[in-house]
Amino acid sequence: MAKQNLHQTFHEIIERHKGLLFKVARTYCGNEEDRQDLIQEIRIQIWKSLPKYDAHFAMTTWLYRISINVAISYYRKNNNRTYFPVAEKLPTVFDPLPNDLQDKFNLLEQFIVELNEMDKALIMLYLEDKSYQEISEIMGITISNVGTKMGRIKEKLKKRFLNHKEN
Amino acid sequence: MNDTDLKYLWKTGNEQIAIGQTSDKTNLDNLTKRNVSHFISSMKPIKIFTLFVGMFWVFGLGYVLIKLTINAYEQVSPYFLYSAYFQLMLTGLAVILYIFQLSTLYRIDFDKPVIILQKTLINLKVSTLNITRILMLQLPFWTTFYWNESMFKNGTLALFIIQGTVTLSFTYLAIWLYFNLTFENADKWWFKILLQGKEWEPLMTSIDILNDMEEEVALEKD
Repeated sequence: MAKQNLHQTFHEIIERHKGLLFKVARTYCGNEEDRQDLIQEIRIQIWKSLPKYDAHFAMTTWLYRISINVAISYYRKNNNRTYFPVAEKLPTVFDPLPNDLQDKFNLLEQFIVELNEMDKALIMLYLEDKSYQEISEIMGITISNVGTKMGRIKEKLKKRFLNHKEN
Repeated sequence: MNDTDLKYLWKTGNEQIAIGQTSDKTNLDNLTKRNVSHFISSMKPIKIFTLFVGMFWVFGLGYVLIKLTINAYEQVSPYFLYSAYFQLMLTGLAVILYIFQLSTLYRIDFDKPVIILQKTLINLKVSTLNITRILMLQLPFWTTFYWNESMFKNGTLALFIIQGTVTLSFTYLAIWLYFNLTFENADKWWFKILLQGKEWEPLMTSIDILNDMEEEVALEKD
């Protein structure tokens, strides 16, 4: 790929998939500064990996692999300072969600924060409506393994929502 | 709350947050100018520095030892010469492992499946432990290089006892550390003393990840 094309492709990918990068960063980082740092690192890694991109793979699978790999490494490095209470977590929202929905969303994010780095990736991909097949390709584990782990995570999540409701 | 509700909640929450984001920051030139602290990049400088120091030591000492062996073999104490050669050999081995580590670091592909790449990164960190184990084997040679003929001819019993105790203790310690400096002992106080600070934290995190991976393997078998 010529350098000019590479630049153009890179910018198109980043623009088209900025939501993906943002969600990964949000799953792994608690404050805005860390999140922006992580997004930059993901972008840089995408730029470095772009010449090797194999078009046989779906672009989103490739992007998720890079983003999650960078995010896990970043999270491990900054683990102590990325944990955050929910109250600090949400930036100003222009059009806030209804209270009930906002509470539930906060609870869901808090639940994800408490998961280990591999489970964070799994639940995020699941919530992004990825099939077990796609999750398996991104994570490099078998479909049955994805199913087992997801079952366990969802069970924990259900309990969390139930406990919250009772309280 | 069922699966559809959860996915709706995730989608709606993220959409609302995304509205507040300014995201036109795609100029790579500007990005690289900012303070980027990529962990892989951050591992490289210290490794390159250590490698250069190690190579300088190996080549420098190697040059001196070879010169001494060729030109002054009869005059130099064999204890010094052979202790230094053993020390050099072990440092050389550590340097080779460092070169291997660095080359792996430069060839890392972030588009590999998550588990595979994370395992590679962990193995890189684990190899630091192996380098430490090899370097520990040098310990006894630091207690023998100053031995000489006259020490054995004219030494007192007290000297022999002290010297013997020091050398045997260092030998025992080196062998013991070589076999015990493993992840199984990562929670022991002496392990933490030897690998504290920057080396310690990533290793501890690696143990957690390795445990997670063992869980993955167990699930595969089920």
